[in-house]
Amino acid sequence: MRRTVLVLLLLLGFALAQSDTLKVGFIYVGPVGDAGWTFAHDLARQKTIEALPNVETIFVESVPEPEVEPFIDQLVAEGAQVIFATSFGYGDGVLSAAERYPDVIFGHASGVERAPNVMTYMADFYQVYYLNGLIAGALSESNKLGYVAAFPIPEVKRHINAFALGAKEVNPEAEVEVVWIFSWFDPAGAKEATEALIDKGADVFAFTEDTPTVIQTAAEQGFPSFSHYASMLEFSPDTVASGQLVNWETIYIDFLQGVIDGTYTSENLEDLDYFWLLQDEAVEAAAAPGVVINPVHEEALRAAIIDHPEFGEISVYDLVFERLAQMEVAEPTFDPFTGPLSDRKGNRVYAEGEQATLAELLSLQWAAENVVGPWEGEP
Amino acid sequence: MDFLDLLTSTSARALAFSTPLLWAALGEIYAERAGVVNLGVEGMMILGAVAGFIVGQTSGSPLLGLVLAAGVGGVAALVHAFIAVTLRANQYVSGLALTIFGLGLSGLLGREWVGQPLVNSMTFVTVPVLSEVPVLGPVLFTDQYLLTYAGLVAAALLWFVLHHTRLGMTLRTVGEAPVAADVAGINVMAVRYGAVAFGGVMAGIAGAYLSVAYRPSWGEGMTNGMGWIALAMAIFALWDPLRAVGAAFLFGAFFTLSFRLQNVFPPELLTLMPYVFTIVALTLVALGKGARSFGAPAALGQPYQRGER
Repeated sequence: MRRTVLVLLLLLGFALAQSDTLKVGFIYVGPVGDAGWTFAHDLARQKTIEALPNVETIFVESVPEPEVEPFIDQLVAEGAQVIFATSFGYGDGVLSAAERYPDVIFGHASGVERAPNVMTYMADFYQVYYLNGLIAGALSESNKLGYVAAFPIPEVKRHINAFALGAKEVNPEAEVEVVWIFSWFDPAGAKEATEALIDKGADVFAFTEDTPTVIQTAAEQGFPSFSHYASMLEFSPDTVASGQLVNWETIYIDFLQGVIDGTYTSENLEDLDYFWLLQDEAVEAAAAPGVVINPVHEEALRAAIIDHPEFGEISVYDLVFERLAQMEVAEPTFDPFTGPLSDRKGNRVYAEGEQATLAELLSLQWAAENVVGPWEGEP
Repeated sequence: MDFLDLLTSTSARALAFSTPLLWAALGEIYAERAGVVNLGVEGMMILGAVAGFIVGQTSGSPLLGLVLAAGVGGVAALVHAFIAVTLRANQYVSGLALTIFGLGLSGLLGREWVGQPLVNSMTFVTVPVLSEVPVLGPVLFTDQYLLTYAGLVAAALLWFVLHHTRLGMTLRTVGEAPVAADVAGINVMAVRYGAVAFGGVMAGIAGAYLSVAYRPSWGEGMTNGMGWIALAMAIFALWDPLRAVGAAFLFGAFFTLSFRLQNVFPPELLTLMPYVFTIVALTLVALGKGARSFGAPAALGQPYQRGER
């Protein structure tokens, strides 16, 4: 009898504790230990719990994209009220599960299709790659920048173009040589792709792959490179010049706060798309948090003086901060994808003063003039 | 870049990339020569990688990490040996289980070691004088790891032992005709245990090469399927250590070329080639000489128990 009472009391306490907490599930495509994409999402999950004490999280990792539905079932069974699916390929599974669980709220990272209970979100790097391109163009001696790229999809193409546009702005001779590895995670592929680029004469490196391999390989020859997703400065303190860092928690916290307040429900997410940028503090141009430019490279960048159409005579070092200032304000006064812009086949993409729309950026297929290498789906 | 440059740079990178494949394949060749298939290569490699990194990081000595990784690989292989040899369970299932176990355990053990560069990594060497030799200099003697040379030497030694020593004959007999070996007074169990453990040691070294030399850091799943390629290579090499050198080089060359010839060939096609060759080679040899004579040990995959058959 006494035991029954105890159990009932426990259950009651459990139910009470449950009532005012929000249970949030995360589905990761890679292991949390990938030091890249998934690692960044998991770091954000931990920061979210710190910021929102009433949020409780559970996560599953290394979930193959076609098998996401059973994992959603599992998270719902464990009581998840909000579920974040953090890979593009989860899209179909999320939408189908969202129909079966109309009361559960879903967030789909890098997704495009929404539903009343499915929002999409992305922290995008294109402005950051542009800033990195300014630095790369100035640091290169061979005028050949290497880019180790994952897949020829609009997101990656947008980033390569932005990087190339930045490089060209400070160094008209600079070319971006692209090698594709057809994987988000392939350390050996990233290593050999970097070696191939080095043999082709590249001497500054950016990449889209989930490990610090490109940075380590470039560093063997002393070549500058850029952090991707997480800080990779400690992998090579003397060569990581800047980079692309993400703060997913800005989106998670903002959205979950909205769910807690009742602003966001399982019925009004149809039009909710977070495409957060520098001005939202979702991304950061830096080698490590706060380190916009590695002090090691400051002298070289200050010495690189160019004649700029907008700023006149200016060092690349100052130009980076000028452009950053223009883009990190609530209403940015500059966007890298502003005309006149032509693709490498000579077609005019944007006329003088014309700016790319969000939809165009999300479906970008053209290659910038100074991009070299194969380009599937080129218009 | 002219053709000679392409040839030398591709060859040099093929050697560096394929070194772990060679080490792991050599080990698997010995295990299979003794009649035991071990599909746990990927698992043993990743355990070697995580052990090598953790020990290398805490001790500051990548060599110590490598040695410990070899031990860890060997111990992991003994688990497979116990299940497959002593308990005579299905070798394929046991090996697969070892791979899954290795991937999971390494992820767990390595959790706190993610995102750190190795304090002291193995550095590559450029051999004086020899590196000046045309073609061979840049291919073999410039910026290569000592483990690459050690792998080539190991292949030659293992070939000699397998074909020209009593130990090699014993090993092959156990794999071809365990009954005959038993009759001749050979301890079949002991030989199989030894061969499987040796395979584990080699896989452990292969894994550590990745985490203390090739890419000196730890990342979950960093072997990324190399163990499976090594398994395919053991077959492609027709269970011969010297042919494994050629097989490894071919795999490596196609892999690196897939990044160098992207403007000419679809890269997916190039990375697919070694596997196509494996299938074609096996088919040709099997057609030409009859399936048995293409070199597969006759008792491969079969548990041995005295008194059966």
